[in-house]
Amino acid sequence: MAQDVEADKLLLADDEQSIRRVLGLSLQDRGYEVLTAEDGHSAYEAYRAHNPDIVLADIKMPGLDGVELLKRIKEESPDTEVIMITGHGDMELAIQSLKHEACDFVTKPIKEDVLDIALKRAEEKLSMRRQLRSYTESLEQMVREQSAKLVEAEKLAAAGQVLDRLSTALNGIADDLDSGDSPFFQEIPCLISLHDSSLRVVRANQLFKERFGDRLGEASWSIYGKGAAGDTDCPARRCFRTGQPEKSQEFATDARGEIVPLLVHTVPIQDTEGRVDMVMEVGVDLTRVQNLQQELFFTQRRYQQLFDEVPCYITVQDRDLRIQAMNRQFKQEFGDEPGEPCYSIYKHRSDICPECPVLKTFEDGESHQYETVVTAKSGEQQNVLIWTAPLRDSEGEVAQVMEMSTNITEIRQLQDHLTNLGMLLSSVSHNIKNLFTALDGAMYKVSSGLAKKDESRVEQGWHRVSHLVGRIKGMVVDILDYAKQRELERIPVPARNLHDRLVEMIEPRAVGYGIRLDHQPPEEGLELFADTEQVLNALHNLLDNAVEACLADPNKEGGSHVIRLYFRVESEEWALCVIEDNGVGMDRETREKMFTLFFSTKGNRGTGLGMFIAGQTVSRHGGAIEVESEPGQGSRITVWLPRVGGSVGQ
Amino acid sequence: MAKKILCIDDEPEVVEYLRDILQDAGYATCEAYDGKQGFEVARREQPDLITLDLDMSKEWGTRFYRNLRRNPDLKEVPIVVVSALSGNKYAVKDAVATIDKPFTPQQILDVLKRILGE
Repeated sequence: MAQDVEADKLLLADDEQSIRRVLGLSLQDRGYEVLTAEDGHSAYEAYRAHNPDIVLADIKMPGLDGVELLKRIKEESPDTEVIMITGHGDMELAIQSLKHEACDFVTKPIKEDVLDIALKRAEEKLSMRRQLRSYTESLEQMVREQSAKLVEAEKLAAAGQVLDRLSTALNGIADDLDSGDSPFFQEIPCLISLHDSSLRVVRANQLFKERFGDRLGEASWSIYGKGAAGDTDCPARRCFRTGQPEKSQEFATDARGEIVPLLVHTVPIQDTEGRVDMVMEVGVDLTRVQNLQQELFFTQRRYQQLFDEVPCYITVQDRDLRIQAMNRQFKQEFGDEPGEPCYSIYKHRSDICPECPVLKTFEDGESHQYETVVTAKSGEQQNVLIWTAPLRDSEGEVAQVMEMSTNITEIRQLQDHLTNLGMLLSSVSHNIKNLFTALDGAMYKVSSGLAKKDESRVEQGWHRVSHLVGRIKGMVVDILDYAKQRELERIPVPARNLHDRLVEMIEPRAVGYGIRLDHQPPEEGLELFADTEQVLNALHNLLDNAVEACLADPNKEGGSHVIRLYFRVESEEWALCVIEDNGVGMDRETREKMFTLFFSTKGNRGTGLGMFIAGQTVSRHGGAIEVESEPGQGSRITVWLPRVGGSVGQ
Repeated sequence: MAKKILCIDDEPEVVEYLRDILQDAGYATCEAYDGKQGFEVARREQPDLITLDLDMSKEWGTRFYRNLRRNPDLKEVPIVVVSALSGNKYAVKDAVATIDKPFTPQQILDVLKRILGE
């Protein structure tokens, strides 16, 4: 029984024409608008065409059977209620159709009351569904309506608040500008003034007053100095005209009559009705900006200068170790091609150095230190100590790394010098112990000779003592000279004095070993310009070397060794001191190295210092030492020394 | 018969000093100025004791000591190291004594008396 005013559509599908006719009439009686179909396919088409609310379908039909029709309909429209008509023994199919959400089933032959129950059920379901839908729809609409109302109310409230606050703020500006203790407007480093609609200055902040005087009540254009020409255009006027914020560059005349370039922003202030009531003018003194820019420029210049002038090599590198910036020191020593990788410029490498401190800084953001040797573009090797520092971007990420390198080559050389000095001292301590032992031996000879009243033994011992004391003294002077290069104290020295003192020093020793010293006094009046003690020490070392050369020569009979010492005038500038011996002679290597540090052929008898210092002393006097020697042929050493009066001597 | 002592040192002055001390004390002496010469002299003279310098320019004293110990006739001869090297104690394993340079005559004589008897 259809309860709705509008009749429900019902589709009746059965292949038996009698059923269609009888049942169709019966259903029409119940108030349904009845459609009929004679098989499954036409039933489906009728369903698609008319979209009935209820379908009454025979479960067994040719073509498309009832269960299949049910499935299709439910798939397309779950809201359509389907009642199945079943025959005897179709129980399984009936149950299967219930699984596919058939509303109910009636068995043939169809009883009126059973059909009524099934239809009622379908009607109830339909009605319930309609109610639910209508309820849901109205609920959704209600929510939409309510929330729209709510949003509108909120908008209004917020806008009201904003308007309230804005107008409070703007109204406060006038007072702020005027009262001396307003922290905000007085501290802003800008010229702030308020203008009313009659284009009069009504308020101004302290800075404005200081720069332009008390302008209250004057025309808005008065500070722009145009009034006389009848030109009354000014930022405030333009803002009143447009009602929009404006920005312009102006020239104003300050209280001292100076022209001030200004960047002026104007802001319209509206009253509660939205009319432009006042205009606020904010002026920035461009001379100040220019000053700041200049200051910034100078600061940047100072940093650039610092960057360039610090006694370090500074580079800024990116993550690929490419050099982005470099200071002047770096450019001078290593070239000025930016964009090249650090390792290629500094180390002439094609790949990244192991232990790269810049990469470490990119990794951990910390500063790192590293010592290494780099090659300048001149080919010079430099020991450098490297510091790195991260350069961070605004997000705090390490964007670049600055690498600062200090050339510590000289420090390293000094360190080597000190290490050498240490080595020297240990080697010297050994030699000194040997010398002291020999000295003890000589003194033993003297004292035992005295005890035995053996005069020749005493004499032999004493001779030995004086020789050894001389050697010890020479060694100590050598060490002192090496440890601390004494300043030369050059004075005119008669060559004769040097000659006499050298003979005095060397003759006893030479004679003691059976070596003849053949010496000629220099010509009278020959004067050298020299540090007496240092030159004496140098020449003594050379003579001592000659004695050693004779002692080391096994090929001559005792008594046939000769050392010759003589001075000669070479020119007006130079005198020569020549020392010859017919001792063992020197090979090429010895000749070339004999004046280098720690070179000694004497084993533990020499410190490797004597010849080095002799060479140093002579060259510090501007002179030179020439060596002529062959193994087995003896040696001739020629020392060039400056004469008094020559240009070298002055 | 006087005990015979071989003095080996490449410094002639040191050898002479030892000779003076030892002869004055009644010992017989023989001398050598490097290890090679020392070995020849030792074979010829069969000394009762050897004083040995270590840091000699021609041959390291330790090399002489090894050669000496390989020789059946000489391997028992006591060696006294007389050296300026600070590590001399370790260079000759079974040296009977080590004396640092510079030394006094008494130091030498005390050591010899202890080893060779009166």
